[in-house]
Amino acid sequence: MSVVLEKQRKVLRFKDAVLTTDPYARTVSEALNLEVCAGELFLIRLGRSDQIASFADVCNGTIHPLSGSVFFLGKDWRYLSPDVANALRGRTGHVFFTGNWTRSLSVVENILTPQLYHTRNSRAQLLDQAGHLAESFGLPGLPGGLPGDFTAADLQRAACVRAFLGRPLLVLLQEPTRGLEPDILDPLIQAIREARYRGAAVIWLTKEKEIWKDATIPTTQRYHLVARNLMEEKL
Amino acid sequence: MTMNERTITDLQKGGLSKPLTASGNLLAAIGLWVVNLWRPPLEFFSDAVAVIWQSCRPVTWRRPVRSKFVSQCYEIGTRALPFIMVTGIFGGFGIVAQSLYWLEAFGGKALFGGFLTVVLVRETAPVLVSLIVIGRSGTTILVELGTMKAEGQVHALDAQGIDPFLYLVLPRVMAFSLSMFCLTITFVAVALVAGFVSGTLVGMINLPFLDFLQSALGAMGSKEYFLITAKTLSIGFVVGLISCKTALSEVDRGTDLLGALPRSYARSVLATLLISIVLTIFF
Repeated sequence: MSVVLEKQRKVLRFKDAVLTTDPYARTVSEALNLEVCAGELFLIRLGRSDQIASFADVCNGTIHPLSGSVFFLGKDWRYLSPDVANALRGRTGHVFFTGNWTRSLSVVENILTPQLYHTRNSRAQLLDQAGHLAESFGLPGLPGGLPGDFTAADLQRAACVRAFLGRPLLVLLQEPTRGLEPDILDPLIQAIREARYRGAAVIWLTKEKEIWKDATIPTTQRYHLVARNLMEEKL
Repeated sequence: MTMNERTITDLQKGGLSKPLTASGNLLAAIGLWVVNLWRPPLEFFSDAVAVIWQSCRPVTWRRPVRSKFVSQCYEIGTRALPFIMVTGIFGGFGIVAQSLYWLEAFGGKALFGGFLTVVLVRETAPVLVSLIVIGRSGTTILVELGTMKAEGQVHALDAQGIDPFLYLVLPRVMAFSLSMFCLTITFVAVALVAGFVSGTLVGMINLPFLDFLQSALGAMGSKEYFLITAKTLSIGFVVGLISCKTALSEVDRGTDLLGALPRSYARSVLATLLISIVLTIFF
């Protein structure tokens, strides 16, 4: 009797991807091969904030590697039409390092806009889901004012709400705990756990060694992107 | 040279492995000059075609895009109404009263309708309203989008699969175009009423209001109606696109806005005058 083991679906795949991880050094990294499957959490440590943003951009296809390919759900970002690429990006959730908020829109509109743009879910339904997520992240409710009316900590929690709203298939977290008290870790890990159960892959990018070494974060893999290569390091 | 030693610039340069000769350098310089000369207008033309094409696709008008279009119509059109009406009152008093005075002085009062049509409806109203809208809303759009670009908000939208062209540019350009048309019609209406009231008060107009309107607008044919529609829609479209394009393509940092503002204003005013003259010549 033969047993067939089915591997989890690959959500994101780097194939011989040469990244421009350091715009100042003008050097190229070694070719990177990496597979992130559904249900996995990768915790990746990078040296600087701009490297974190660049790595996230390569993951969601807004910039392409110098050579090689990055596949999302089996499709090479480089060869997708803008419409298809945008539709696929609609299946990703983000906490950005910069530019999280459109200042002319209220925070709640900022949270809902990607879902209103990409899905046909009703506004009431989305508000209900976002409200539950906001409570789980320690907010008293959905923040209705403009981004300038809230503290950086509240906005960071609201950014987490947006990242996990709408059942994303890939969640890219750029320093999600930045500026927050350690009590954010529990709800964040819970939200990640639920997303992973639903089949999402999560990539958590940080430059903080303490976060990267935190054993309470249930990662699948931990990597450290050093000068020219992605090194897997054991705790 | 190994892969690791190559620089990004080398890779972007592609296959240029041999140095160019003197004649090659000259040809390259001429080619670069021609490309730089034609690139901006061609890019602008392609963006204009893209806005028209995308606005015809139902899939473009998703909920946030529709919402943005409505909010921009309010910002550019509705909120400018009081200012346009005040300008219309002053403009109407000046243009209508002066037209009547001088036409009467030269014994050409019978030409009043045709004269008013040419001066107010065909030429003055679209250009004057455009200048007001450029100053009031064009600069606002430039600052808003430029700040968004400089702070990384545009990139964040892109990363979330929200096409900045569809979400930021298209609704603003369409709202600019529609608002320009509506504001110009409002301006003309207010100017005629103001002209009638002021002319009656000083005793230059001795006609009932409807006869005055018949005299003023009766001279307008289908060509004039087409012209004012074409002028206002196209001026609004081009000015809106100039503001959006300048913000998104020429502003990378907050300080770039200082240089972009006068550039965008000058381009918008020149485009307004150019469109007005060209359409007047052809129609």
